[in-house]
Amino acid sequence: MAAEAIQKGPLDPRTIISFYHVELRYRDQAALSDVTFSITNGEFVCITGPSGAGKSSVLRLITMDLFPTKGQVVVRGMVSTKMKRSRIPHLRREIGFVFQDFRLLEDRSVYDNVAFAQLVVGVPKAARIKNVMRVLTQVGLWNKRDRLPQQLSGGEQQRVAIARAMVNSPKILLADEPTGNLDPVTAQEIIDLLFRINDGGTCVLFSTHDHEIVKTFGRRVMVVKDGGLVSDEQRRVLDRDQAPRLTDRMYQPEVQRD
Amino acid sequence: MIRPEQMGYLTRESLAGFHRRKLTTGVTILIMSSALLVLALFVLVALNLGMMLERARANVDVRVFLVEGLDAGRTAALQHPFVAIPGIREARFISKDQALVELRRELGDDADVLEVLEENPLPASYHLELAAGHRSPEAVDAIADELRRWPEVEDVVFSRSWVAALGTWARLFRWGSLFVSVVVLVAAVFVISNTVRLTMASSRRVIEVQMLVGATDTFIRTPYLIEGMIHGFLAGALAMGVLMVGHRLLEVRLEGLAFFTPLQMGGFVVFCVTLGLLGSLAAIGQYLRLRRGA
Repeated sequence: MAAEAIQKGPLDPRTIISFYHVELRYRDQAALSDVTFSITNGEFVCITGPSGAGKSSVLRLITMDLFPTKGQVVVRGMVSTKMKRSRIPHLRREIGFVFQDFRLLEDRSVYDNVAFAQLVVGVPKAARIKNVMRVLTQVGLWNKRDRLPQQLSGGEQQRVAIARAMVNSPKILLADEPTGNLDPVTAQEIIDLLFRINDGGTCVLFSTHDHEIVKTFGRRVMVVKDGGLVSDEQRRVLDRDQAPRLTDRMYQPEVQRD
Repeated sequence: MIRPEQMGYLTRESLAGFHRRKLTTGVTILIMSSALLVLALFVLVALNLGMMLERARANVDVRVFLVEGLDAGRTAALQHPFVAIPGIREARFISKDQALVELRRELGDDADVLEVLEENPLPASYHLELAAGHRSPEAVDAIADELRRWPEVEDVVFSRSWVAALGTWARLFRWGSLFVSVVVLVAAVFVISNTVRLTMASSRRVIEVQMLVGATDTFIRTPYLIEGMIHGFLAGALAMGVLMVGHRLLEVRLEGLAFFTPLQMGGFVVFCVTLGLLGSLAAIGQYLRLRRGA
């Protein structure tokens, strides 16, 4: 039944991403095997698991940077294996992507880094200025728009990367270990920012191997291990004020041992 | 599709490689223009050889000596049958007396030696002028063979060996230059392709971000294609400039040395731009394939 559903298109019209028995092999090694799930529009999903479990592969399959060896990946109604290569850039304009290492252009200002994403897709100058101003204000960096990336802290650089990912108003935001290089206070700020983005209706997929972060999540958590999806649970949505925060652990004995 | 608002960015990016790597760019253009200079030089020599050959063939001196004792009426009547032969444009009769006058003129101050002669030993002859397209050694041979069979004809003489040798050399040179041209062209494309690949490698973060935010392949490729074409243009123009100066210097000593027409020069530069484009296409194709892991 699931097979028919995927082949005929998603049953739930709100479904934005679906994986159907996806297998991904690099030469002889399976990076993912038999992964099936679907994500609806506006969801916030945390993908967790140890390093090398296949989290990044899931994200790269969504951006169609990789293609499944078996099974199907459907993003916004488009089946990756049946999609024309020339259409992929247009799909990517609807997906924002942030990484652990920020991937900013070091020789360009904060403003130019964000505007670059608009320039590439051909947004006229007036609209570009308005959009860059909107997202840089949203991430709290409009007043630092003329700085170069190396003049910013790690957290600020990640906020620039998020602004760049959001400037084209994507339907999906993929965050691959976005807090991996950040201290707990800054990491919490980034997570809060991602929650705010999700509140605006953007579907967010957040990948992390950090258990502490996962513990604070009152959202859907998918666990990937050895290339397989081992659990997929919808946690109780907590009131943001009552949810545990990453910064709490700084006062816990186990953290002090480190 | 590239939109007007993206043009400024693409132009800046195309020129960025030149600005960032002045030395590499300079060396690339020098190497490429040297290769193209060799190519242009071969073409020019082939062109001049061809023209020389054509001129030499136009001057092929075919003389038909007539047997002794023909009366004036018969010799004059031969003019029509000669001209009727395909390939002969004109036949000029040179009588025994005229031949002697010509010889005397050619000898100049030494003409005295002719005084010892009791009678004119020179035969009457016809001087044939061949039509264009009938001046190759084979065509001249065919005409001579036919004429030798005529009873009125004693012998046919022409400067065959020299024309034939020049023809052989020109043919050899054409094949040789074709071979060298192919080698030079491959080298030129390779040099440009390597430079463009360097530019792309140093811009890999930019390309990565472009792919990430949904740039089309055309948008990613355009700056590098323009860069390759600019390389080709500069190298071609430089090679042509050097060749032009060289030609001016040589022209003083060798009169009648031909050079390319403005149209041919333009064609050469367009050809170099195309080479640049090919080099860039090769580099971009390879880089993007590697990047995508395909």
